[in-house]
Amino acid sequence: MTTLEAVSRRPPPWRNVRVLRIAFQVAFVFAVALFALYLFANLVRNLDRLGIETSFDYLSQPAGFAIPDSDFRSTEDLFAALLIGAKNTAAVSLLGIFLATILGVVVGVARLSSNWLVRRTAALYVESLRNVPVLLIILFWYLAVLLRLPPIGRAVEWEVLVVSNRGLVGPGLRQTEDLLVLAVVAAAGVVAAAAVWMWRTRRFDATGEPHHRVLWGGGVLVAFLLAGYLAGGTPLAVSLPERGELATTGGFRLSPEYAALLIGLILYTASHIAEIVRGSILAVPRGQTEAADAVGFSSFDRLRFIVLPQAFRVAIPPVGNQYLNLVKNSSLGVAIAFPEVTRITRITISQGGPAPQAIVVLMGVYLVFSLSIALVMNLVNRRLALKER
Amino acid sequence: MGRLAFVGYAVLVVIASLALAGCLHGGDDGQVNLLDEVKERGTLQCGVNDAVPGFGFVTAGGEFQGFDIDFCRAVAAGVLGDANAVEFQPLTAEQRFTALQAREIDVLIRNTTWTSSRDGSEGATFLATTFYDGQGMMVRADSNYQEVGDMGGTTICVLSGTTTELNLESVFRAQGIQYTPLSFEDNDTLQPAFTQGRCDGWTSDKSQLAGVRSNWPQGQGGPDALRILDETMSKEPLGPVVRDGDSNWAAAVDWIVLATIQAEEFGVTQANVEQMKLSDNPEIQRFLGQPVEGEAFDPGLGLDVDFAANVIAAVGNYGEIYDRNVGPDTGLGLERGMNALWTDGGLHYAPPYR
Repeated sequence: MTTLEAVSRRPPPWRNVRVLRIAFQVAFVFAVALFALYLFANLVRNLDRLGIETSFDYLSQPAGFAIPDSDFRSTEDLFAALLIGAKNTAAVSLLGIFLATILGVVVGVARLSSNWLVRRTAALYVESLRNVPVLLIILFWYLAVLLRLPPIGRAVEWEVLVVSNRGLVGPGLRQTEDLLVLAVVAAAGVVAAAAVWMWRTRRFDATGEPHHRVLWGGGVLVAFLLAGYLAGGTPLAVSLPERGELATTGGFRLSPEYAALLIGLILYTASHIAEIVRGSILAVPRGQTEAADAVGFSSFDRLRFIVLPQAFRVAIPPVGNQYLNLVKNSSLGVAIAFPEVTRITRITISQGGPAPQAIVVLMGVYLVFSLSIALVMNLVNRRLALKER
Repeated sequence: MGRLAFVGYAVLVVIASLALAGCLHGGDDGQVNLLDEVKERGTLQCGVNDAVPGFGFVTAGGEFQGFDIDFCRAVAAGVLGDANAVEFQPLTAEQRFTALQAREIDVLIRNTTWTSSRDGSEGATFLATTFYDGQGMMVRADSNYQEVGDMGGTTICVLSGTTTELNLESVFRAQGIQYTPLSFEDNDTLQPAFTQGRCDGWTSDKSQLAGVRSNWPQGQGGPDALRILDETMSKEPLGPVVRDGDSNWAAAVDWIVLATIQAEEFGVTQANVEQMKLSDNPEIQRFLGQPVEGEAFDPGLGLDVDFAANVIAAVGNYGEIYDRNVGPDTGLGLERGMNALWTDGGLHYAPPYR
């Protein structure tokens, strides 16, 4: 009897698992908080002792340095310089993500090709690029390829392209009139195209007649753009590059620094995406392929309508990680004089800006980029995820 | 379980109280006297450049060498009596002030320009200038540029995080010249970009440009393939830098540099320093720490009374350091110019040692 009583009795608090669990967690959080506080106090005290500014006022000071390929003036403040840097980071990241996805999917599908040469070439590409540091790929493209292009004095002019180590220049658009009318009409066109798209989708759902929504939507958009272009007094003209003695004028120019960073990021990230795509395709049950064959799909249609849609569902989360990596890897532009946000931050620090604050701002910029991408990828994922009913 | 939990508690309490103690207690390190710390440690941590021939670079044999390196050795000789008791820490232009603030180095001697904002907001104290420099522009010898004004529309390569980067912008903007700056992290990527014609000009301190030019690969035409424009775009006084808030250490480093200048004025050289100790000039005797009227003069810098003699015996006087590393007989071939003694019409002037 007495033993039973002892078991049912509540244990003292230092042996009560529930109490201990909570106490441990409280103590742990407390210790971490104290440590963080200690680090922060230490930083502030040491900065104070050295007479270094601890506020963010430095952002409103004039930059004093110039940024290539932008209309930034050195009298503008450091915050404006940082924005230009963030814009350059975005420019290389977004285009990089877009192109890396296309290349990655193509290579990933090619790895599963029944053609020996295609399959082996894709494997060689993946294995050689994903096992090399991306910094080396970028430096290779910059130092060994793009800088080795002919200097501007002997630039290669090929029809509408001018290629030299001052940049890769092709035809571009030049603004001749105010763009307001075109912009308004274009916006209306996007709305109209979306409406037509939805109409075609509904029609397809209702009657089963082919929807051709890309054709319809695209046609509507092009019609609107053309109308806006004419109504706005032809505000854009084609601008062809012209080679000068020191630089090209006109046209659309990729600087060697931008191109090297972009190519390096695309090649590296695409090799990872290819592996994800390959794995995702293999994850689609074989029965799906066989069923598609059974109902007479061509091999392209089988890929397009049966395999890839299901593979993408598996691929979205890991591919999202690769996108985040690409954005973060774009900071390697510092090595080749590309003025992205890390470069601008480092110039700021070395020109007297306070390092702790500048790094915090830099981390904030990358956080914004990363969270935005994560948000978009989550939305896509939610839309593509299997709907359990 | 109960005993384990108690041990766990005890560990947490200890950690927490340590952290708390750290918060309340850590203010003392500001009072540490770096001069004593360096003497106790027995080595000097010197932040240097490792990529500018003549000033701070690593030889094929892996040795640090150059004008700035010799001043590191001079400080080690003056403080520790041993010119080899130095650990060289190669730093990029962007790292240097952070390394100084973080106490990774005791003194920064890395062709660093003295400016008001660096003095004011980097927590740095600039000491006696060792080299009066100015910003220049280097172009390929076969180009037509004679002055900066000719360089409209060009692309200019520059090192990021330097005063040159800011001067470039202000000089070109003041003259209304359009240009494209390309700012590189280090000379290792800047040089191929310049070599391949990615940029038309390379701007930096003239001394650095002279160093790069002297080392230009023969395969690319050697030094004659490059030309440094006569124009000087800015004032660049270069010298040692220490952290704010330790005036003893600052004074010690300052006077070691000044001692090399004073020695040249007195005619004391590495070769004759021992004879000079017997000089009948009481000023020289006092300078070299010899007893004058029975007692050696101690200015109270916290250094040995004969520190100047140690410094000169180790690295020579200012003129010798200059001639050995960057002077007319070296690859750089820099005339003394502004860097002559005041007695020769230059700017180097040591306050009286008494």
